[in-house]
Amino acid sequence: MRLYEYQAKSLFKEYGLSAPKSILVHDLEGVRGAFASLTPPVAVKSQVLAGGRGKAGGIALVDGASKAEHEAARIFALSIGGEKPASLLIEEGYPHDREMYLSVTLDRGERSFVAIAAAAGGVEVESMKGKVIRKVPVEGIDAGFAAGMASELGLPPRESSQFVKILLSLERLAREKECELAEINPLAVGKDGTLMPLDAKVIVDDNALFRHPEFAKLHPEDEFEGEASRQGFAFVRLDGDIAVVGNGAGLVLSTLDLVGDAGGDPACFLDLGGGAQQDRVEAAIRLVNRLPGASRILVNIYGGITRSTDVAAGIRAVISGGGLKPLYARVSGAEEEEARRMLEGTAVKMYKTAPEAVAAAVKRA
Amino acid sequence: MMLPRGGDPVIVQNMTGRYGRLHTKLMLDYGTNVAAGAAPGKGGQSVEGVPVYDTVAEAVAKTKATASVCFVPAEYTLAAGVEALEAGIELLVIITEHVPIRDELKLVQLAQAKGATIIGPNCPGIIVPSEKMKLGIMPAPSFSPGKVALYSRSGTLTYEIAGELTASGHGQSVAVGIGGDPINGSTPIQWMDFVQGMEETEAVVVVGEIGGDAEERLARHIEKSGYRKPIIGYIAGRHAPKEKKMGHAGAIIYGDYGTADSKIRALTAAGVRVAKTPMDVPRLVREALG
Repeated sequence: MRLYEYQAKSLFKEYGLSAPKSILVHDLEGVRGAFASLTPPVAVKSQVLAGGRGKAGGIALVDGASKAEHEAARIFALSIGGEKPASLLIEEGYPHDREMYLSVTLDRGERSFVAIAAAAGGVEVESMKGKVIRKVPVEGIDAGFAAGMASELGLPPRESSQFVKILLSLERLAREKECELAEINPLAVGKDGTLMPLDAKVIVDDNALFRHPEFAKLHPEDEFEGEASRQGFAFVRLDGDIAVVGNGAGLVLSTLDLVGDAGGDPACFLDLGGGAQQDRVEAAIRLVNRLPGASRILVNIYGGITRSTDVAAGIRAVISGGGLKPLYARVSGAEEEEARRMLEGTAVKMYKTAPEAVAAAVKRA
Repeated sequence: MMLPRGGDPVIVQNMTGRYGRLHTKLMLDYGTNVAAGAAPGKGGQSVEGVPVYDTVAEAVAKTKATASVCFVPAEYTLAAGVEALEAGIELLVIITEHVPIRDELKLVQLAQAKGATIIGPNCPGIIVPSEKMKLGIMPAPSFSPGKVALYSRSGTLTYEIAGELTASGHGQSVAVGIGGDPINGSTPIQWMDFVQGMEETEAVVVVGEIGGDAEERLARHIEKSGYRKPIIGYIAGRHAPKEKKMGHAGAIIYGDYGTADSKIRALTAAGVRVAKTPMDVPRLVREALG
């Protein structure tokens, strides 16, 4: 789960990491009030979870009240990676000479957390020159570890002592809050040599949330995502018109590819999970059936242990409630023929293979 | 890494839970020698006639099992995994989904220190059809004995592709689901080394998906290794959006990191024949085997 910048910065504060003075606002009136109580210039920053908000025009630096409102209105109207900003962080500018980079993140290939730092940062960490990467032990790091990184970066003594404190705090935050990523980019070096985090990016390990109830209430929930998560489905909303339902993440992912290759656009990704019993199939189809934007439903189930007849019974239960959108299904596995008979005479179209079902769903056959 | 042979004793952790019970039966039906179960506080019970003990240590002492299939819920998987590795389990198959990353890292480290192998978490397990040995939850009818080694980050795609291979006459020497999480107990590179070294294997099918750089690393490894057995690949998620977790915890693209295109390019450059769809895999296997 990714936190908004303002949430990440409030977490930073708990760990003794500073940030410029800022105020979170939800409308233009808030922008006026915030501007009045801060020292210009100020940054108007969209609060979105999508990446690349700077490039998308989601950040502006302003020095007058009317300019602040004007930019805020513009940013509120943006769609950044499909996301409309619901709030803005109005933050005092921090005059600085240089920008560094610092993060604690999971290196999947090395199967270890790593600390990554660069004395001269940039937007993309991948292309940063002179970056230093060190494996972080699961039990954490000490001042010697952090000082070693500072010296490898060639930081002067004044910066080095601050860097050590910041890295120790960031690593402790990442470890205690079980983050996949805790990142400061940029870490500004002020005119007087003070190190100041200007942006904060934190992604918490979803699977560790049961140990961190403090994060439970941080995100407003999309109605459909909330319902799907209560049912135990993996669900992602997409912008197309074909709702895609299947069992197993890889299988649904490959079904999205088949739909895309055939020229269709998926409205969602829904993975029922392992044992797809009748009631779960029914709940999933009911959910996607009322998804706005979805004009038809594609079901791709590889019944291993799942019985095809259970899937058919789940579909039938939805049909009996009325109002089912056109449904194209490929259900393989035990009792396939019996399942086909159960759905005969209904509006549901059954296919032997996934490509056939996909082609029909895309062409509205 | 050593795989148990057909008939070797195997234990099941949390055998008395819903999935533990169901899959104990299905593994026994397939021919696996499920010799004991472990479940704290459930010692003295039995499932399908198999005795259950309170601890893995007891189950191991009674049966001499060196492999365990773990159905313990995510909150307790770290403790259960530590218990199994401390009790001398050498092959630990963790089916459980939603295990926290830091718990997985601790298990990987302990397994490395003990010289043990972990498969998973968040995986369907491993099956060796010729040995009638199934440590996991895969549906038996999709698999048949043969010469194609298959391993994958996805469960149902493993079944789908195994089913396609079986239907076209290509049985499997071994099939492994290595897990859909960002951290795998054993990696695609380790599995490639292992299956290339299996005498029975004539071709390898490796199935990946978006997220991370495991396939890119595998491609670099393939380029250096000089493997002789042909490799067929498939990568799911060419049309997946960025920054969204697609079902598996590990299936997420950040920026340009973890895209299907990057993986397909890397594998192709390493000489792997990459299928566009799962249905295309058997044709490429047939061509590769000439």
